[in-house]
Amino acid sequence: MLTELLQGTDAGGFLIIQDSASYSGRHLLKSFINAALNREEAVHVLGFEVSEEELKDGLKGSPVQRLHFHNAYTDPLGWTDQPSFTVHQFCLEELTRLVKQTSHPKPATLVIDSLSWILRHVSAPAVCKTLQQLRKGGAVRAIMGLLHVDMHQRGTVGSLCHLATSVITVAPGMKGDEAVAKITKRSKSGKVVQDEEIFSIKTDLTVVVQSKPSQLGHKQADPEEQETDPTANLTFNLRLSNTEREAKEKLALPFVFSKEKKTALLHSSPGSGRILYEPDANDDYDQEDPDDDLDV
Amino acid sequence: MAAPVSTVGKPSTERSPFNTTSFQKKTRTKLISIPGTRPSVQNGQLLVSTGVTSLDYLLGGGLAVGTVLLIEEDRYDSYSRMILKYFLAEGVVCRHELFVAAAQDNPDDILQELPAPILDDVAIHKPVEQPRLSCEPQDSLDAMKIAWRYQNLPKSALASSSRFGHYYDVSKTMEPEIRQAAKCHCFYLPEHPTHTMLESYSALLKSLQEVINREGFDVAAPMTKSRNILRIGLHSLGSALWGDDLSCHDNPRNGHALTTFLYGLRALLRSSLSVAVVTVPSHLIQDRALMGSITRLCDNAIALESFKGSERETNPLYKDYHGLLHVRQVPHLNCLASKLPDHKDLAFKLKRKQFTIEVNFFSNVF
Repeated sequence: MLTELLQGTDAGGFLIIQDSASYSGRHLLKSFINAALNREEAVHVLGFEVSEEELKDGLKGSPVQRLHFHNAYTDPLGWTDQPSFTVHQFCLEELTRLVKQTSHPKPATLVIDSLSWILRHVSAPAVCKTLQQLRKGGAVRAIMGLLHVDMHQRGTVGSLCHLATSVITVAPGMKGDEAVAKITKRSKSGKVVQDEEIFSIKTDLTVVVQSKPSQLGHKQADPEEQETDPTANLTFNLRLSNTEREAKEKLALPFVFSKEKKTALLHSSPGSGRILYEPDANDDYDQEDPDDDLDV
Repeated sequence: MAAPVSTVGKPSTERSPFNTTSFQKKTRTKLISIPGTRPSVQNGQLLVSTGVTSLDYLLGGGLAVGTVLLIEEDRYDSYSRMILKYFLAEGVVCRHELFVAAAQDNPDDILQELPAPILDDVAIHKPVEQPRLSCEPQDSLDAMKIAWRYQNLPKSALASSSRFGHYYDVSKTMEPEIRQAAKCHCFYLPEHPTHTMLESYSALLKSLQEVINREGFDVAAPMTKSRNILRIGLHSLGSALWGDDLSCHDNPRNGHALTTFLYGLRALLRSSLSVAVVTVPSHLIQDRALMGSITRLCDNAIALESFKGSERETNPLYKDYHGLLHVRQVPHLNCLASKLPDHKDLAFKLKRKQFTIEVNFFSNVF
């Protein structure tokens, strides 16, 4: 499922990559940026945590021109006279203006590195409101954000992920360069799909998905318990062989007419009696049920 | 002489035009008769159906008019949203008025997704069609072996014009004609910008009060026209999009906003002919005391816990169900004690035509 997500999110999609101190999700974020650039989309990056050179390291070629880096790394709080992008500019109007400045036919993808930085300075409800407005407005096609889970309270992380359409939680894997990704994707119809994959990122920022983890623990090779067949060890035979079943079905039950007589009776000639039944509430009266007349 | 054929099929329920006695039963019409409601057998309260018949049974017959049902959402808000849609769809079928408020999705989108009701057909006498002679009744699945005389009759169910609970088909959405016949009031939070974020709840309460007064749902209003019920559906109150930090912080500073809103809502409902269903993402609210006070402020409270994504999904005990349902609170209206449900371990399953809630018998094993 990781490859599907890499191939493109739907319009209005909001992807969150959750990482922790043990494994950084920035490499995966760069892979997503790389994939978006290769799809000829314009990508706007709000860089709070790393500098432009460090982020663009590894991204090569002409698509890099479509990457617009908004420098919030040098002066995010506006302490100097001319800050380039401050955290207080994280609101709908400023971001829409920023994205529309660079004219491009397709709506852009907004990448936020990282949401945790913004959450330290802007209240969580305001961040959620801005993100929701960005999604509903038409300026930005998709939003991707990096979130450091161990920096926030559970409620904050939960509220942000509640808004997201896809959440990828990365954790270190067994071997050196491998990592485990737990993916939750919500579709527009409300269906939720979850998956867990092992992946590794090559130097050219392509993601290689390996097989699913072997999952030591509850799921591993739970042998299907042989359902005990209750008809197995009996002194009498409860099963039917094929010939016996055929004979049973051929048996003519008493009071069952032959097919010809049935059809003759069903399609009665005019003039003979017909069964006319109109469902009536009084017909449901059950003499044995004492509570039948209660309207509960 | 046999009766002529034309009168055989006519239902003979015509009475003689003259009453045999002049005795007339004295009926005190204390209860207002509104379509889609019925009096409770336990305490005479006027009840409406939630749209889910098993939930009606759990709540003691239905939702009492003038009360609030709190639904604690499951993790991905799939089943609580479904119950909200059932509630609104039931309002459309019973011809009640609707009021929908949401901050995340446009209420019109929620109204577009209402499930289609399964309406019974009145029994119509179809003439026996000639092509039936050629088809082999034994090949079709409907061929009856023993009751074969009734094979060709149209399948009809008991049709009652004013049924209390209805069934819905989740795979289809309600037809636009049926939906547009019902009057809906929508409150979409981004359309009501407020100066501070905390005023969103008071804006909602003002809008509700205005609708109730304008449309005449007040109990004190003069009974000029026939009365109707207002069904209020409030989606995901307490989430970050409504402006408070209940679900974001462990020690929220704005806990009072939602609690005062619920207090005002219940006061508004008690004096009007309306009923409300509120969904709250309780899995995000970390402050348990606050969640407890929110539960106390509503009359009925249930919590949904879906198995999706949890380790219970693979538990063989739960393979038939989609999640667990916990009843957090039952109301005591005009009485000291209330009837508690017999079983506490309930599990739910969303099937295509029914949302079933069953007692989870196997939970006592462990």
